[in-house]
Amino acid sequence: MLVEASAYSLARCKLENLLNKSMRIRMTDGRTLVGLFLCTDRDCNVILGSAQEFLKSTDSFSQGEPRVLGLAMIPGHHVVSIEVESDSLQMTTHGL
Amino acid sequence: MVMKSSVEEEEGGWGLGIPEKMRNNANWVDVTKEFKGACKELKLGELLHDKLFGLFEAMSAIEMMDPKMDAGMIGNQVNRKVLNFEQAVKDEAIRVKDLSISELIGIMDTCFCCLITWLEGHSLAQTVFTCLYVHNPDLIQDPALKAFALGILKICDIAREKVNKAAVFEEEDFQAMTYGFKMANNVTDLRVTGMLKDVEDELQRKVKSTRSRQGEQRDPEVELDHQQCLALFSRVKFTRLLLSALISFTKKETSAVSEAQKLMTQAADLLPAIHSTVQYGIQSQNDTTKGDHPIMMGFEPLVNQRLLPPTFPRYAKIIKREEMVNYFSKLIERIKTVCEVISVTNLHSILDFFCEFSEQSPCVLSRSLLQTTFLIDNKKVFGTHLMQDMIKDALRYFVSPPVLSSKCSLNNNHQAKDYIDSFVTHCTRPFCSLIQIHGHNRARQRDKLGHILEEFATLQDEAEKVDAALHGLLMKLEPQRQHLACLGTWILYHNLRIMIQYLLSGFELELYSMHEYYYIYWYLSEFLYAWLMSTLSRADSSQMAEERILEEQLKVRSSKKSKKKKKARPLSKEITMSQAYQNMCAGMYKTMIALDMDRKVRKPQFELDSEQVRYEHRFAPFNSVVTPPPVHYIQFKEMSDLKKYNPPPRSADLYMAASKHFQQAKLILENVTSPDAEVNRILKVAKPNIVVMKLLAGGHKKETKALPEFDFSAHKYFPIVKII
Repeated sequence: MLVEASAYSLARCKLENLLNKSMRIRMTDGRTLVGLFLCTDRDCNVILGSAQEFLKSTDSFSQGEPRVLGLAMIPGHHVVSIEVESDSLQMTTHGL
Repeated sequence: MVMKSSVEEEEGGWGLGIPEKMRNNANWVDVTKEFKGACKELKLGELLHDKLFGLFEAMSAIEMMDPKMDAGMIGNQVNRKVLNFEQAVKDEAIRVKDLSISELIGIMDTCFCCLITWLEGHSLAQTVFTCLYVHNPDLIQDPALKAFALGILKICDIAREKVNKAAVFEEEDFQAMTYGFKMANNVTDLRVTGMLKDVEDELQRKVKSTRSRQGEQRDPEVELDHQQCLALFSRVKFTRLLLSALISFTKKETSAVSEAQKLMTQAADLLPAIHSTVQYGIQSQNDTTKGDHPIMMGFEPLVNQRLLPPTFPRYAKIIKREEMVNYFSKLIERIKTVCEVISVTNLHSILDFFCEFSEQSPCVLSRSLLQTTFLIDNKKVFGTHLMQDMIKDALRYFVSPPVLSSKCSLNNNHQAKDYIDSFVTHCTRPFCSLIQIHGHNRARQRDKLGHILEEFATLQDEAEKVDAALHGLLMKLEPQRQHLACLGTWILYHNLRIMIQYLLSGFELELYSMHEYYYIYWYLSEFLYAWLMSTLSRADSSQMAEERILEEQLKVRSSKKSKKKKKARPLSKEITMSQAYQNMCAGMYKTMIALDMDRKVRKPQFELDSEQVRYEHRFAPFNSVVTPPPVHYIQFKEMSDLKKYNPPPRSADLYMAASKHFQQAKLILENVTSPDAEVNRILKVAKPNIVVMKLLAGGHKKETKALPEFDFSAHKYFPIVKII
């Protein structure tokens, strides 16, 4: 019982520490979204604020201008990878 | 219907203000596994979010990878590479020279279709600018295509400018956004028409040289060449004429408007040739991607996808080439009608012109051209008359107020002049607004008419005060003359017109339920038209009083007896039409009450509201009007109570009364000397209704459960009642 509670609260803590931080998510169709992490749920559906969409391209992101989306939700099953800026992680006490 | 494209409005604080550190070269650390793992610990249905972010905000997020919401998805769904113009030229996917005539015809026709689709309310990005050639005409080497591309850009630019200036559009009518596209601003209008003319002349030479000669055997290849050259020539010339006409509308002189009318007629003459040669143009090639329409050479429907605002994806269905000529033909007719407004001089006639023009639900471009032609640069009417002068003329025409009569002593009185000038100046804005309101689409018009009643109520107030002041002055100067309620009558006339239009347009827009018809028609016939009739007759008397005084003054000067010519009174047609309308409305309201008595009107259950609530909602805009005072529900019920008659009428009596009203309307209208389309439309309704009412009075089909039908196809305000 105690173990479960702590696993749960640890998970919540990790996630809460990422709230309002910049996040970069690659989607199944190759597009990448960069925005502020605002919300998520058990299925890993993620809401990003001030999101910008970058088309599939090389690493340099030189492929034209990003498209401004505003508030966007990426369904969990379309998330390929999630990245955060290294600075954001320094603020957490437990670290990921 | 449409979400605002502005990002701020959806998200409050979560919108713009992208922090600087969100650059792509930041140090990104992959946390996928940990994140997903952490998520799994959350409970089912639990959301992890900041205190200030909740379901209300989350609701407006765009869902990615859902084709209904994610406009960026479609680029990945197609099999072809989406190239812009420069890329396509480099890749040699598109040619800028050595295009065949077939290709040119096909490209031009598709461009015309895109232009029309844009004028019908879609975005430039999804219509005209799906044509790669217009992105950068400087790169085009083919002279015909280059001139054409520039021509299309200029047409779009002028059209957009006109529509913006007129300001009679809403988001459903037109999308003014240009997405930063260059609209050939580096080339003058004159240069573009010159380039088009050069291409035209060259093509005309070719047409002449390939023409069939007498006695000669016709070579099919030469014949084809001839037809194709003719097809191309017609299109280039049409473009030049359309552009030139629009350029004329940008000029300030009204003579330019007549010029535009001539150009439009010439353009219309080319349409049959264009229509018969549509098949010479190349068609789109089929694309194997799902749900995508065939791609035309030189066009890329997705080239601007990333410029579109982050709303749900909107698809612009480009009209088919077969419909193109039909659309142009109607557009030209509308523009030619617009040109006729400059020959209308009286303000009331101008108002009528605007009303009639609006009734055919014209396109946003023609409505805008009408607005900007009327008030050139929003200053003078047709660029020559001051609105104040037009209002004074309208007053003279309608009610002949002594203060505006040259034969009245008030005319030279300083104070009187101040009063009337100030009043007329206060009238200009509401009347300009009224004319602008008539430029909107029918639905928006109704709404705005309701709102402008407030301004007219203020004018009414002022009119009464000025009338009283002028009357006081006049009594001192010319005791026999009166200035009673002249200005007030005129404003009241316009008030009533607006109120009547507001109610009648509810039928056109199909806003009323059947069970509401009776009180709407009652308000019109027993109240508004009754007031209108008395207002018109008061105006008429005022005119006659002025005329008598003028005659008196003439008699004093000359001993000759002026011949009394039987001239039609200026307001007689209007009085006649109002009588007819009043009878039609009276017939309808009695019909509805009778049908209700016979249980033939379906009523709602009124669980949470009542008839009073709906009544008051329908007439709410009238609450700001002082004269006539609004009729509240209780008052209406009292006034329309049938029990005050002894014995109270039964349905048969009411049907007969209705029949008599329709009969009266028919008689009045049949006596009109030169009946116009409107007279005939009303007759088409009055005649069958006379018969139907008589049948119903006789008890025809009284026991049937089937409800009557109301057919508004002959007249949008008055239905033919059909008993099934």
